[in-house]
Amino acid sequence: MLPTTFGPWLDYTINGLVIGNIYALLAVGLALIFGVSHLINFAHGSVYMVGAYIGWLCVTKLALPLPVTFVTVAAGCGLLGAVIERVGLRPLRNAPRIAPLLATIGLSVVLDQSAQLLFSPDPRALPTQLPTWRIAIGGGSIGALDLLIAGVGIGSAGLLYGFLRFTKLGWAVRATALDRDAAQQCGVDVDKVNRTVFAIASALGGVSGLLVGMYYNTIDPNMGFQAGLKGIVAQLIGGVGNVPGAIAGSLLLGLIESYGIALFGTSYRNLFAFVALILILVLRPNGLFARARRLPPEPLTGTFIAPSRPLVLPKWAVWTLAALALALPLVVQQPYLLQTLGNAWLYALLALSLTLVAGTVGQVSLGHAGLLAIGAYASSLLALDAGVPVLLAVPLAGLVAAALGTALVYPAFRLRGHYVSIATLAVGEIVTLVILNWESLTRGPIGVTGIPPLSVAGKPLVSGQWVYWVPLIVLLAFAALQSRLLNSHLGRTLRAIREDDVAARSYGVDLNRYKGLAFAVAGFIAGVGGALMAHFYSYINHETFPAPVSMLALTMVILGGLGNVAGAVLGAAVLVGLPELFRAAAEYRMLIYGVVLLLLIRFRPQGLLGTV
Amino acid sequence: MPQPALSRRSVLFHTLAGGLALACMMMSGGPASAAEAAGEPLWFGVSGPLTGPSAQYGAQWKKGFDLALDQINAAGGVKGRPLRYVFEDSQNDPRQSIAIAQKFVADPKILIELGDFSSPASMAASPIYQRAGLVQFGFTNSHPDFTKGGDFIWSNSISQAEEQPNVADFAVTSLKLKRLAVLHLNTDWGRTSKDIFVKAAKERGAEVVATEGYLPDEKDFRSTLVRVREANPDGIVLISYYADGAAIARQLKPVGLNQPVVAVGSVYSPKFLELGGEAVNGVHTRANFFPAEPRPEVQGFVAAYRAKYQEEPDAFSAYAYDAVLVAQRVIEEGGTDRTAIRDAFPRVKDIPSVIFGKATFDPQTRRVSGVRNVKLVVKDGAFALWDGSIPAATN
Repeated sequence: MLPTTFGPWLDYTINGLVIGNIYALLAVGLALIFGVSHLINFAHGSVYMVGAYIGWLCVTKLALPLPVTFVTVAAGCGLLGAVIERVGLRPLRNAPRIAPLLATIGLSVVLDQSAQLLFSPDPRALPTQLPTWRIAIGGGSIGALDLLIAGVGIGSAGLLYGFLRFTKLGWAVRATALDRDAAQQCGVDVDKVNRTVFAIASALGGVSGLLVGMYYNTIDPNMGFQAGLKGIVAQLIGGVGNVPGAIAGSLLLGLIESYGIALFGTSYRNLFAFVALILILVLRPNGLFARARRLPPEPLTGTFIAPSRPLVLPKWAVWTLAALALALPLVVQQPYLLQTLGNAWLYALLALSLTLVAGTVGQVSLGHAGLLAIGAYASSLLALDAGVPVLLAVPLAGLVAAALGTALVYPAFRLRGHYVSIATLAVGEIVTLVILNWESLTRGPIGVTGIPPLSVAGKPLVSGQWVYWVPLIVLLAFAALQSRLLNSHLGRTLRAIREDDVAARSYGVDLNRYKGLAFAVAGFIAGVGGALMAHFYSYINHETFPAPVSMLALTMVILGGLGNVAGAVLGAAVLVGLPELFRAAAEYRMLIYGVVLLLLIRFRPQGLLGTV
Repeated sequence: MPQPALSRRSVLFHTLAGGLALACMMMSGGPASAAEAAGEPLWFGVSGPLTGPSAQYGAQWKKGFDLALDQINAAGGVKGRPLRYVFEDSQNDPRQSIAIAQKFVADPKILIELGDFSSPASMAASPIYQRAGLVQFGFTNSHPDFTKGGDFIWSNSISQAEEQPNVADFAVTSLKLKRLAVLHLNTDWGRTSKDIFVKAAKERGAEVVATEGYLPDEKDFRSTLVRVREANPDGIVLISYYADGAAIARQLKPVGLNQPVVAVGSVYSPKFLELGGEAVNGVHTRANFFPAEPRPEVQGFVAAYRAKYQEEPDAFSAYAYDAVLVAQRVIEEGGTDRTAIRDAFPRVKDIPSVIFGKATFDPQTRRVSGVRNVKLVVKDGAFALWDGSIPAATN
């Protein structure tokens, strides 16, 4: 081994660049799609996974030579991208901006589940046919594949640059990115541009899946989610829609992670990455590598949510439904049904909370599960370590979640549109990672055991009816409160912020205060929801409220209709209920769920009950 | 259930696997009634991941269950009645595992429940099983507090308090490693194991120079391994599952680490060899079972598994297989009453088991002790018995 004069830091730098290299492959495709359609494509990770599997078929089943494998993967995934654009996204072009975002989530569920059914969930080896020589650098070495990945990343960025700058179609792409309507009026075939962009980005995504699969010699049907997330973070660091910036951002993200491990240890890796993301978003919201005088991004808040005529239930109907719901356990005794509906009401609390910030104020949060986790831990630890009665610990947990949640999201208040979503996604991850690492308080990965159930006057409320009634009563109380709030002066102010924050500010609305108020109320509701879950579960750890829960919550809210209180409850009931209904379909049920989700978005993009 | 299909399968099965009849006899726990089980089936419920990020473990479980049931039912089932199961997909998610728990406790045909996979999903459901008086039998639940959920909560998961000192023995006493670096999954299992291992290694006179916890979905370990390298260990210990264990092994050389590696038994899987490739050659592990072991329990399982699935079994399918053998015995002993089945646990002794040899439950801890293990090393892309050679010290 070479004694290194730089010490291990040279190695950490090289390792950062090696992993950054891998992030870059995904970030470039995401940046291209965002640049043209202003869409964070959550299906990109799944296309990457499909690329890896096509590659696996070519390498192990057909024994094709490497160049042919590359071309096949690129062609297959390019075609898939074009199909995604045509079938999944083009029908939604006049729908509110949020609908395509949700459609990409639905598409990724469908793709991941199909792969799992076709290829089994087991990870598979994807051997590389590249030569095995290695170049020693510092204390370690890099191989042919590292160089190939770097070459593909930089080469594809270079090709894209040339394409965008020097070809007619490239001009059309840039014109569409700048102003879609104007481009269309100038005779640009916007649909063709979109299709081309999706095909190119997906081809690149597929090749990245192949390369990364070979790099780790492992592919599995769930490899896309985490990889896609890192790609999104990387391209935000570089500046959304900026292809060279995406590469620089990826390398920087790799370095940040590597140095984070060097300084604090492996379990802090992602914590470091997400804190860096928030800092960059707050300090340079256009990304580190945006041109200095670029126009501020389009105010997505205003156009994000399409106005629609909400379905308004008459008062008597609402009261009747509430009374019927309350009376249900008197008629239906099946514990399974009551538990499922009880779960739905607990998730409805989360949806209620999210629909307030995402729907009414227009701050689409992707980290809402973090609030559940804060509430759950606060209540459990208050009850176990501080001896607070559970009945008191639950509302206190709500207050803690309100205070902490608002404080954590506060730096993101100055952001708009997609940036808010990504910042809150980072906040959600940060909450999980702090719980994992702050062992003296949270007990780290071991989790909190023996959480006492909710009890009134010494009688634990754990029987079949109470798992239904407790969440329902809390839900009805909060739903009534939130409806009143939305009909008041306050509700109008919050909606004004959503519709046009510049106009709202010029009318004298202090944006930060109102956003703070909305997040505090939302934090309280979600915190109480999380606390109730903890007391029902009796055991929680950092994995109890993972990132997909945040996605699920957003899906519920959009499905019900943004800002719509009744819609949030309905959305939660549908999305908790559907997978249970499809239980008989076993392995197929998540696929069916994805397809149903896509159909709902396609035919009712404003949500079942409409946006308020 | 169409009976002809079942018998056709078992005929095929007998012709394929030579020593199987013997195994069947042994599994049935008594004089084998050659007749196949008929009549009203007896049911157990399974709550586990069939979709979602942990789905591969659920898929392995299923193979273990099906294999055990083929053998049991071909040899007369439980007192002549066939044993069957309902597998409900929880996605390893507590929200779904509690709904499944309510479903099972309300379904009178379910006599015992097996699973779930992870602690959050399993332990959220425990209060429901405990209150309703249905045994929750967790066979992958090593969380030290799992069986403290109540007297209906039992487990034959390997106790880390027993397993980790064995691994420490292998590393420190057998391989003479003195400066260890430990990489562990940062989950409740990995963390508990790491703490016990570190203590055991220190008691045996070794020093633990680095411990690094990583998240289950991590794939890049280069910087972690540079940290490990800087601590200057003379051996590396992996508290990992097979996929992440293989990923770590592949990245050792690129950062300049050549020290001997000792991994816990959960890396034992053909997938570890497949995913790790050449990089896992020389990895030592103290596995809980080894296909070449002559014990009849192991041979009955391995031969039948190969015949049925044309692949090598792994640790998770072995756990599932063992779990069904336990279910069979307690149902045989307790009958169709859920409380009687609970009461049967301390009474059933020496249940044939791949992992334990003979499994007997301790009524105090509601767990099994006496895990079997063999010292293995990966040689030329295959697991082989460790021949006692100590790898030449590098660095």
